[in-house]
Amino acid sequence: MTEHVESLERRIGGLRTAVREAVLAGDRERAAALRRDLRQAEQDWEDALTQAEAATPQEAPPVQAVRSGAAQPTVGPAPRPGSEAREPAPLLPLREHVHQALSLLTVPAAPRLIATVHEAFFAGTFATARLTSLKRDEERSFRSAPFARPYYICAALTADLLAPARGLLAISTWPMERRVIGSLSLRVDFLTAAIRVVEAIERLPGPVPATRRLLWRFAASIPGAAAAAAQLDPFAVRQAAAAELDVHQATDQHVRQAAAQRARAQLDDAQQLFGTRTQLAPQIDRRRGS
Amino acid sequence: MTGPEARLARLRGRSLPRSHNARTIAALASNPGCARRAILDAAGADKQRLAAYAGFPAPFGQSRFALARGNAFEAQVKAEGAAQLLTLLRTHLNLPIPEAHYDDLGEVGGNASLDLRHARTRTLLARAAASQDEAGTMFDHPLLRLEVGGRHAFLEPDLVAFRLHGRFHVIEIKSFAVIDGQADGDKVAAAAIQSAVYVLALRDALAEQHIPPEAVSHETILVCPENFSNRPVAVSLDVRKQLTVLRRQLSRMARIADLLDLLPPDLTFDLDPDRDGVPRRRPAELAAAIRQVEARYAPECLSTCEMCFFCRDEARGCTAALGRDAREELGGVEHVQTVLRLAGRIDRPAPGTDLAEAAALLRQAARLRAEALREAV
Amino acid sequence: MSTLTSLARAMAAASGTAQPACTVRHVHLSPRPLVFIPLALAGEANAPLAALVGDDPGAPNLLVVPEPRDRDLRFAFAADLAAVVLRYTASYCADQEPTGGRDPGLRYADAPQLLVPNPGGIAFTRLLGRSTRFRRAEGPYAVAESVPVLGRWLTFFADRTESPASSLMLAATDALSAHWATGQSPAEDRNLAVLLGWIDPPPGMSGAQAAALAEDPLRSPPTGPATDPTFDNEVLDQRILAVRTARLTGGGRAYQRAEAALTDALATQLTPTWTLMWRAAELLRGLPEAAHVRRRWDADKDAFTWHAGHIREGGPPQPRRDGAVSAAGRLANTERVQEMVAAQRAFDDPLVMAEYRMTGEAFAGRVAAAEPDRVDATGRRRVLRPRVTVETGDAVLAEPGATLTSPARPSQKARVIAVTEANGRTRVLLELQGGMGRALTPEPGSVPAIGEPVCYAAFGDGYQPPPAFPASEDTPWTHGGPPPRYVPADEDAREDWS
Repeated sequence: MTEHVESLERRIGGLRTAVREAVLAGDRERAAALRRDLRQAEQDWEDALTQAEAATPQEAPPVQAVRSGAAQPTVGPAPRPGSEAREPAPLLPLREHVHQALSLLTVPAAPRLIATVHEAFFAGTFATARLTSLKRDEERSFRSAPFARPYYICAALTADLLAPARGLLAISTWPMERRVIGSLSLRVDFLTAAIRVVEAIERLPGPVPATRRLLWRFAASIPGAAAAAAQLDPFAVRQAAAAELDVHQATDQHVRQAAAQRARAQLDDAQQLFGTRTQLAPQIDRRRGS
Repeated sequence: MTGPEARLARLRGRSLPRSHNARTIAALASNPGCARRAILDAAGADKQRLAAYAGFPAPFGQSRFALARGNAFEAQVKAEGAAQLLTLLRTHLNLPIPEAHYDDLGEVGGNASLDLRHARTRTLLARAAASQDEAGTMFDHPLLRLEVGGRHAFLEPDLVAFRLHGRFHVIEIKSFAVIDGQADGDKVAAAAIQSAVYVLALRDALAEQHIPPEAVSHETILVCPENFSNRPVAVSLDVRKQLTVLRRQLSRMARIADLLDLLPPDLTFDLDPDRDGVPRRRPAELAAAIRQVEARYAPECLSTCEMCFFCRDEARGCTAALGRDAREELGGVEHVQTVLRLAGRIDRPAPGTDLAEAAALLRQAARLRAEALREAV
Repeated sequence: MSTLTSLARAMAAASGTAQPACTVRHVHLSPRPLVFIPLALAGEANAPLAALVGDDPGAPNLLVVPEPRDRDLRFAFAADLAAVVLRYTASYCADQEPTGGRDPGLRYADAPQLLVPNPGGIAFTRLLGRSTRFRRAEGPYAVAESVPVLGRWLTFFADRTESPASSLMLAATDALSAHWATGQSPAEDRNLAVLLGWIDPPPGMSGAQAAALAEDPLRSPPTGPATDPTFDNEVLDQRILAVRTARLTGGGRAYQRAEAALTDALATQLTPTWTLMWRAAELLRGLPEAAHVRRRWDADKDAFTWHAGHIREGGPPQPRRDGAVSAAGRLANTERVQEMVAAQRAFDDPLVMAEYRMTGEAFAGRVAAAEPDRVDATGRRRVLRPRVTVETGDAVLAEPGATLTSPARPSQKARVIAVTEANGRTRVLLELQGGMGRALTPEPGSVPAIGEPVCYAAFGDGYQPPPAFPASEDTPWTHGGPPPRYVPADEDAREDWS
């Protein structure tokens, strides 16, 4: 059995070298083909090893650990090679977690922020990569049975083109004004989110380090909110955020209201939630002709 | 397709075109006399593939780790309405609080052509320049255009152009560190040239709406991680010198159309792939085709152009290959063999000629070297 | 580059073999140097990935950071490196010797020497020193006690490279290119494998052929600190991911396997360079040592002795930035030292002196006439002032009144009395002073005889006193005032190293 493993290892080594040669030669097709073979060989190796280990327990080969002081992780249950990072036992589907985090923030947010908020205030985290397909799935679900679910995770729309704003998620039950993004809206929403985070922290029974780290992320980018991470005071953060919010709010509201009106007038239900993907609005085309 | 466009497409062959970016334009500007590079870049050819197939693969490549770090740092600085960047600009440049607008010019609600995106960029930036107040502070992913060799090259930078007191500043986000106020000189120099390319392109975009070039400041901003952390720090760069050099070099570049006229009409760098994508053209033939376009090799090419080993091989025996100043140091003589023949008194040029001066210099050097080596024994 | 060096390169290109650029070795080479080959993770400011380090070619120490982004593992790497480096430097703190000169004292009889492959290795060492020397061994961000000490030593070595007279730390590519001219450009010389191909090709192959083979990164991995991108993308990425996964799933054996695989992969990128480094050391050792190298190494020994004492007494680490006075002082000092070293190299090496003969700052010829017993009676005392006439075919820039020095008689001054040209040859009349003994007749051999080949240069190898700078406490307010005394700060110890 070990011979099989060793010969696979040699094959893998050879394939890796061949891939590098192909890359150096600028031959992308060949490199891609070799990588496919490599993946297969690696999978075969993993399987062969798992079999070998299952057959002969407690046979740890003397690995020449050249390093000292390596931080050894605690030995846990037999690991499944290639398994993903530890996740919370999924009590709720992903969309529920996103709904929780967004409801706390009350403003449209990017996947990274959503995941961090969820990790700080609710149990466990999730890979942000999973959120990219969420919006698409929600749109499909809506189009097949509109308003069948109590809420949908939807897009935020750009104020000028009413197109889906890149990288933002929102909740369908929010009013249109909250789901359109003008040029000041990202800043306004950032400040609003900071205030909501402060309020959520105040509702906690005791201090939680992850929430303080999250709060610092906001405070570091709000003037007057905090001098240093060590002197983080939620009250001061809220004051500072509210002060700057005051400067932008009126202008931003004006833009959002106008955009929301246009959206309600020009777009159908699905488009109001997920944006329009049609060509540029006529006004731009006219200008191009001139 | 117009004349030169058709010719360039034929030169490129069936491969997908590769587009210019600030780096390639900066490289072109550093060697404006190289027709080979100008033509290959204009045609959008895959230089790495061509060089490797012709037998001279060059080790240009980017590490996944570096890419990931660069992307992560940029994403971090631009997150949440570019909150970190805004904070930097407020501290670094006293940006007033109300100026916190963020527009993503990459958003066009669907697949728009480069021309359309560029038109939109031009319009929005011009509107910002013309208006007195809040018509925009930060503009992300603008699509710019620069004239290179008589043709337009689209530039899609990851920078953010930002407006303070009515003037635009180009912003470059790089992931090399500024440690105790100092950064790697070569990397800063490269960032400065690239920023200058964007300044020119931005001025180009505004000029079409009759906005003067001064609307784009020659002071650009470089955003880098500070010390060994992920916190960003902003550094101002004055790129006036780079702008002058760029403008001069770009104007010296021959028009692509003129260069194309010098080439045989049926010339192509196509690899003639079969149904499975395997090239059928003989490598020697491809090499011969490439050699039809004149190159101007210098050792600097080794760090800026994927054709470097190919052109270096061609330049074997030339003094230019020995170093940037080598030819000049050797009396301006072009070939190594000539140098040795002059130094060894095998060739004796007539007095009063240029070569005679070089010969005297080389003979003296050879004599001194021989004496010194004898003495040391 | 100069005409002479370009000519040497042209000759190398034509012959396919490297040509000598010097006839002697102008750097000190230790009988027991410490070879240090660091590898860094691409894209980070200074994230150590792995290193090979050791003073015995048969016993390399391979250090690896299994998860390059883990702060604790990075400091564990630093502690492991400290164990090797500090043991090495301590081994030079045993034997002592008396120092000469006006203030006799004691210094260590020899000093350590750090060898890295290229200037990138020096930059890495400097940065690693910077990121470790401010750390502390107690408090919330504690690191091993040896780590800040390592940082101070690494900074010390890296700082010394700024002096042209120091050999405490050398980059192999710089040292080799200073002594050999290859048939390629100086930029290409920065690749150690290619450089060694030119200088020391294997039998049956020309230097040019060996160099061409060495350009293939699959054959000769880059000597660091940067790794080959195809290695990063096709091998390293996977191995690090496997380690990460094994850690997260808490697997003991899987972790061991993954770590071993990562270590093996990194070893493939480091071991060939180890061989190259010791080859480079041997090639340099094979050159005869230049006469002034010993004197410059003595200064290095003094610096080492001082720094070792400074550390022993618990002195503060080097500050982040120079104060204005010390910065100006360092700059002026470097220029001065550069001039001194250039002069010494010319005095030690006829091939270097040849550069000055090209420009006329030096000339060589034969003594055509001599008055060895000439006495100058015009002053109050009678003094011995021999005169010689040197006849040369070199260009001569010196004018009457100028003072010249001969490498053969460095303590003797030669004043130019007259320069006359005829038939393409130049005759220089020189009046000599000093280096002849105290009597009114010169000691035998102290005055060049007729027919003797001689060389005279417009510079000497003597020591020049440093310019006057105010003490750092007196830094004028225009330059920011006196620098603050270093007080160890929490933020230094806590500084991010991400």
